[in-house]
Amino acid sequence: MLHQLTANGIIAGCIYILIALGFGIIYRTVRFFHFAHGVVYAAGAYLAYSIIFCQESGIRGQGPVVGYQWVIGVLVGVIGAGIVGILIDRVVYRPLRKRKAPNLVFLLASFGIFILIQNLLQLIFGAQILTIRTGPVKEGHHFLGAVITGIQILILVVSGLLSVALWLFIQKTKLGKAMRAVADDPLAASVVGINPERIILAAFAVGSALAGAAGILISLETNIEPTMGMNAILKGIIASIIGGIGSIPGAMFGGLFLGIAENLGIWKISAGWKDCIAFVILIAFLLARPGGIMGVKARGEQL
Amino acid sequence: MEYLLHILVITGIYIILTMSLNLVVGYTGLAALGHAAFSCMGAYVSSLLALNYGLSPWIGLFVGACVAALLGIVIGFPSLRLKGDYLALATFGSGIIVYSVAKNWVAVTRGPMGLPGIPGFSVCGVQLSGVWEYLILVAAFVFITYFVMRRIVKSPFGRILRGIREDEVAALAMGKNINKYKIIVFVVGAFFAGIAGSLYAHYITFIDPSSFTVMESITILLMVVFGGMGSLAGSFVGAAVLVIFPELLRFVGMPSSVAAPLRQMIYGLLLIVLMLKRPQGILGTYGWK
Repeated sequence: MLHQLTANGIIAGCIYILIALGFGIIYRTVRFFHFAHGVVYAAGAYLAYSIIFCQESGIRGQGPVVGYQWVIGVLVGVIGAGIVGILIDRVVYRPLRKRKAPNLVFLLASFGIFILIQNLLQLIFGAQILTIRTGPVKEGHHFLGAVITGIQILILVVSGLLSVALWLFIQKTKLGKAMRAVADDPLAASVVGINPERIILAAFAVGSALAGAAGILISLETNIEPTMGMNAILKGIIASIIGGIGSIPGAMFGGLFLGIAENLGIWKISAGWKDCIAFVILIAFLLARPGGIMGVKARGEQL
Repeated sequence: MEYLLHILVITGIYIILTMSLNLVVGYTGLAALGHAAFSCMGAYVSSLLALNYGLSPWIGLFVGACVAALLGIVIGFPSLRLKGDYLALATFGSGIIVYSVAKNWVAVTRGPMGLPGIPGFSVCGVQLSGVWEYLILVAAFVFITYFVMRRIVKSPFGRILRGIREDEVAALAMGKNINKYKIIVFVVGAFFAGIAGSLYAHYITFIDPSSFTVMESITILLMVVFGGMGSLAGSFVGAAVLVIFPELLRFVGMPSSVAAPLRQMIYGLLLIVLMLKRPQGILGTYGWK
């Protein structure tokens, strides 16, 4: 039982990591809570869904779907999520940035975007639960006393690879270095010829694409529904805060910590208490260590 | 007609919620995103007292509001040390915790099944039954809330609140214990939200956790922001427009599977447009910092 809960926690944690990474990379450059990140995640899943099933509405959920459609579906989901992220930034955040709006205005606008897109998805696809999964559910592999399905292994591998890729991107590439420069000091970065607007655009593209990938992965594992973004972004934010917002190793640690903690927490009680546990952890961290485990320095005016 | 009066009763309850949140958000400048938690507390305490112990709803209303105020201390005391986004996140999280407890503590709250058959109010032994009577009752509470809020914001105490909103450090330098003021404001806001929750429970006679989600908190905040930050008249406008306007969608003859998301989309769009064009709201004098 304990092994299984830990395994479930790690899998859940992998998804939280992807969301926390995307959220964090955006937060680093723009310094506000991009709450609508959660709905980008849902949009990615729905885009992939609509491509994968666009021609087979008759046999939805049955039989194997042709391979190339999967490839296109995943690509459209990931790239589409990136485009949604960029559009959100261009249409809403950029005018606010130009006006030098305070953080809370960004946060409220972000809530507005979240509500708008979530209900748009509900209007188009309906409120019912959909699934990308095809074929029967296979029994998983036994591993150290826990049962893990093939899709869960896929989630583990893909999120691990994406985390490493993102870390390499931030540390090694020129664009990644420019991102870190903007994160440290936008003014100094623009003095040396980095255009902060371009970097913000790149951050939204990369971060939102990560959210799209997470959305597709989770829809293979469970289901997709219009409201899936809320839980995801909240858990992503909690994972970020545990690890320290904007730090890549921090997000990885925070995601795993949160996933394992909330799954072990329900060992003796009903699974409905998961959210409660997650938010108690959040408030404990906000009060005791708002900079997170990795000790990212929080700016003075916020705390 | 009955339906029209029902909408007015609901509007009245939202006006109380909006005014109480406006005191916290609009007048004191604290980013509180968990207001539904307090109305949830008021509603559940008052309903459970009436259902399990047969207490009069009047006592339940008062006790419920007091327990909501107590919850305000429990949430406010630690989280009001935080500022800006972090305060927003802490109050948002508290709202989710309260919702989650209401949903999962099945032994007491019956969880998602909700509490049916909550008794209504009675005045001098006469049971209030019609919508008319409830409209008068709620209107009375709206006026009580309005006068208390007006008294608070026009008093020297209210001036200190605006001082905290405009410049916390300056207020601190004037020798004001700003933490004390923040907590008092938070508790007063929670008390009136508790009253609103209790009124709602005894009026509808059924409550379940889905009436007190975080989306509800955001809707109340939208009413505050739409009507105007730091404007009591604005709270009337904000609550009235945002309750009544979406009801009009019903008359266009849309199926509810379209009308419900459409209504939410309008809320979302409104929030975005407000933030882009007029972040302080229609009648507001003060923008966010």
